[in-house]
Amino acid sequence: MSRPRALENIRVVDFSWVRAGPWATRWLGAFGAEIIKIEWPENERGRLPSTTTPQNLEVNLNTSGNFNDTNVNKKSLSLNVRSAKGLEIVKRLIAVSDIVIENFSSRVLQKWGLGYRELCEIKPDIVYVSMSGYGHTGRHHHYTTFGPVAQAVSGLTYSSGLPDKPPAGWGWSYMDDTGGMYGAMCALTGLYHRNMTGQGQHIDLSQMVASVPLNGPALLDFTVNGRGSRRPGYPPGNRAHWPGTPLVNNYRGPTVAPHNAYRTHPGEYNDWCVIVCHTDEEWQRLVQVMGAPSWASSPKFATAIGRLQHQEELDEHVETWSMTFGKYELTERCQAAGVRALPVQSAEDRVKHDPQLRHREMYLEMEHPALGRHKVQNAPFKLSETPASNHLPSPLIGQHTKEIVEGLLGYSHEELRAGFDDGTFWPTKRARFPYMEEMLQ
Amino acid sequence: MSDDPPLPGPLAGLRILELANETGQFCGKLLGDLGADVVKIEPPGGEPNRRIGPFLDDIPHPERSLSFWYYNTSKRGITLNPETADGRQLFGRLAATSDVILETFRPGVLASLGLDYESLSAKNPRLIMCALTPFGQTGPWRDYASSDLLHMAAGGEMASSGYDGGDAPNAPPIAPGGGNAWHMGCHFAYVAIMAALIYRTVAGQGQYIDASIHEACALTTEAAIANYIYRGEVLRRQTGRHHASGPTPRTQFRAKDGAYVCALVAGRLNPKYVRDLAELLDTNGMAGDLKDPKYQDPAVIAANTSHIIDDLVANFIASLPAEEVYHAAQERGFTWGAVRTPEALLDDPHLHDRGFWKEVEHPEFGRSFIYPGEAAIYNSSPWRISRRAPLIGEHNTEILCDELGLSRAELSVLAENRVI
Repeated sequence: MSRPRALENIRVVDFSWVRAGPWATRWLGAFGAEIIKIEWPENERGRLPSTTTPQNLEVNLNTSGNFNDTNVNKKSLSLNVRSAKGLEIVKRLIAVSDIVIENFSSRVLQKWGLGYRELCEIKPDIVYVSMSGYGHTGRHHHYTTFGPVAQAVSGLTYSSGLPDKPPAGWGWSYMDDTGGMYGAMCALTGLYHRNMTGQGQHIDLSQMVASVPLNGPALLDFTVNGRGSRRPGYPPGNRAHWPGTPLVNNYRGPTVAPHNAYRTHPGEYNDWCVIVCHTDEEWQRLVQVMGAPSWASSPKFATAIGRLQHQEELDEHVETWSMTFGKYELTERCQAAGVRALPVQSAEDRVKHDPQLRHREMYLEMEHPALGRHKVQNAPFKLSETPASNHLPSPLIGQHTKEIVEGLLGYSHEELRAGFDDGTFWPTKRARFPYMEEMLQ
Repeated sequence: MSDDPPLPGPLAGLRILELANETGQFCGKLLGDLGADVVKIEPPGGEPNRRIGPFLDDIPHPERSLSFWYYNTSKRGITLNPETADGRQLFGRLAATSDVILETFRPGVLASLGLDYESLSAKNPRLIMCALTPFGQTGPWRDYASSDLLHMAAGGEMASSGYDGGDAPNAPPIAPGGGNAWHMGCHFAYVAIMAALIYRTVAGQGQYIDASIHEACALTTEAAIANYIYRGEVLRRQTGRHHASGPTPRTQFRAKDGAYVCALVAGRLNPKYVRDLAELLDTNGMAGDLKDPKYQDPAVIAANTSHIIDDLVANFIASLPAEEVYHAAQERGFTWGAVRTPEALLDDPHLHDRGFWKEVEHPEFGRSFIYPGEAAIYNSSPWRISRRAPLIGEHNTEILCDELGLSRAELSVLAENRVI
């Protein structure tokens, strides 16, 4: 890798765990920042419990597949920050770093004596990004979240589902992924500001609050027009509008039909294709792709209003046709004719079958010392001068303790050994991994 | 907006040219709300997405689209047709003094107009250009048409979201609402632009960014990809909770007022949690047998998981309004939440404490409206909405005459020739 890196010489002290924080620092690492994860095996969350360890491996701190994918491009320092000695070491690390990032509950770092004021005493221009559930200010700052709770409280869950059914919500922690993106956005924005002005700052990010602006048009429909979302036909599933309910925009783009998911051959669990026609012209193209069946020439489907009014019948007809093709063939036929269509893709589909993601090298293999060789997710952007890349597998826990403590911070080898003996770098009663014994040689 | 501290935002001093439709306008809003001078360049007559509803008072008009309003705050607006020679020349002059161009044209369009990155950066080597497109600039799907729903399908969001069979038999996978495919693309585009800007502060050089919405969506399904890569598992959809390789206990319960509560209980049930849970349920006399000492045995807990969740927790939640359950649980350290409508957030005192809701003036209507504000509080350079979305060509005179030096007479000629 001879290419320059966008974040060369930027060092990040990363206290974050589970998903949202590590997803943020993953992208800083991909741009070449040195990410130092501060970890402690006794209260670690992210490596364990693991539901993504390959079936042929023992579940332990170093074998979570999801941890590996979430934590590429980072180093690991195992350190008991709750000890006086550990705290002193982490302060020396902060003094030579640019960014501190964490996703603890709102008062944890303050209690450790590492609040923003103390951080500034250690490193005056530090960029400090706190990623808590509700933020560090506001009366509910002590409330806690996981992705699904942030999604529920913020209104995101409510906006997904079929009318007259419980909310379908998001089938994963969307706000861990997206909260992580906001963490990365805040860190980069603060860093840019620091480079321009010489001034650091505290950026108080809240996972719950960050979810709210993602419903902008729905919120304006309420604050401007007084229209609430507890109304007939909302949310309209995959449709732009639910037939038989008042004709209003449902915040996914233009109000049109067809606009739905349709079953495809052979009708297995993920055999669906979505088809959307934004204009009469696109609808007529779809009619041609379907072989101009007689039902489609009915005047009731000729207009946008007609297609919306007769959407149930329209969707039945389209699905009868779509069932005769596989989802990829259907996609190709539609797109070749200028009709908006794409397959519903599972993870397997994306990794194995999606020709676009393959062309863009979205999943490239990487060797990990405990997991072996596996595909890792790449960046969704290509920068001409400073491309993002995966250049390190996720760290084994404490893998870089010696490198950081001796190499970066200048402690002696004897001090490293003493720190292992007194429980600063690893719990004294916990078995050490072989690579720890090696670093103590 | 008079309460805002007089500090510039973190991106103050940056000039962004935004040639973006519905897919990229949120990225421009983020840059503008964080202090950059974002100039939105629309075709003469305005962006087609000004025709997306809902509209102010339900009266359709390109200056009344609430969707356009929301996604275009903190921008100035000019009209310019880059397909005319005059338009191309003016665009070139604007690009020469700008820091970032954000564009969402189909691949190849700007190059066909002579406005590719090589040409523009030759006159401004510090220029950063981010092309944000549905599939990126290369590949077999490069020219495919898309929409929010299409991205939610191909990106994997739909394969993970939907219903338990019992809740909605034969339901399709469900795409979460709100236009989030565009949000995902814009978040990653913002990150890429910031990385390029930071590199420029050191190296003095700009660069070109090819960003893909499809890839952004494909990256945003948490552990679904890892479950497949490391274990070969394809996950199933479940009502209001995580996808999983096999059925997991429900986490969404109907409260007394008909609203739902998200209560994450399964997987957390240890003796301490059960003791705390019994106390929470007991606040409304609903602890049932949960105070029985037998529940301090993990094996007994495991054998009674369904009883605890489907009887005790469900009945407790059914006995109170969702908001009461939410606050009672959180005050006792439970990570639970009410499933709220978006508009319920207007009454949230925590958001008010954080100054989240912003009054944005629309002087042409003589009215102000409440907008959602910032995800994070920057303590020395605020994130804030500086102005409502621009009217069509609102800043043509300000930018093309006052800043670029055209005369009023030239501006008139450009208007007559459909350049602006």
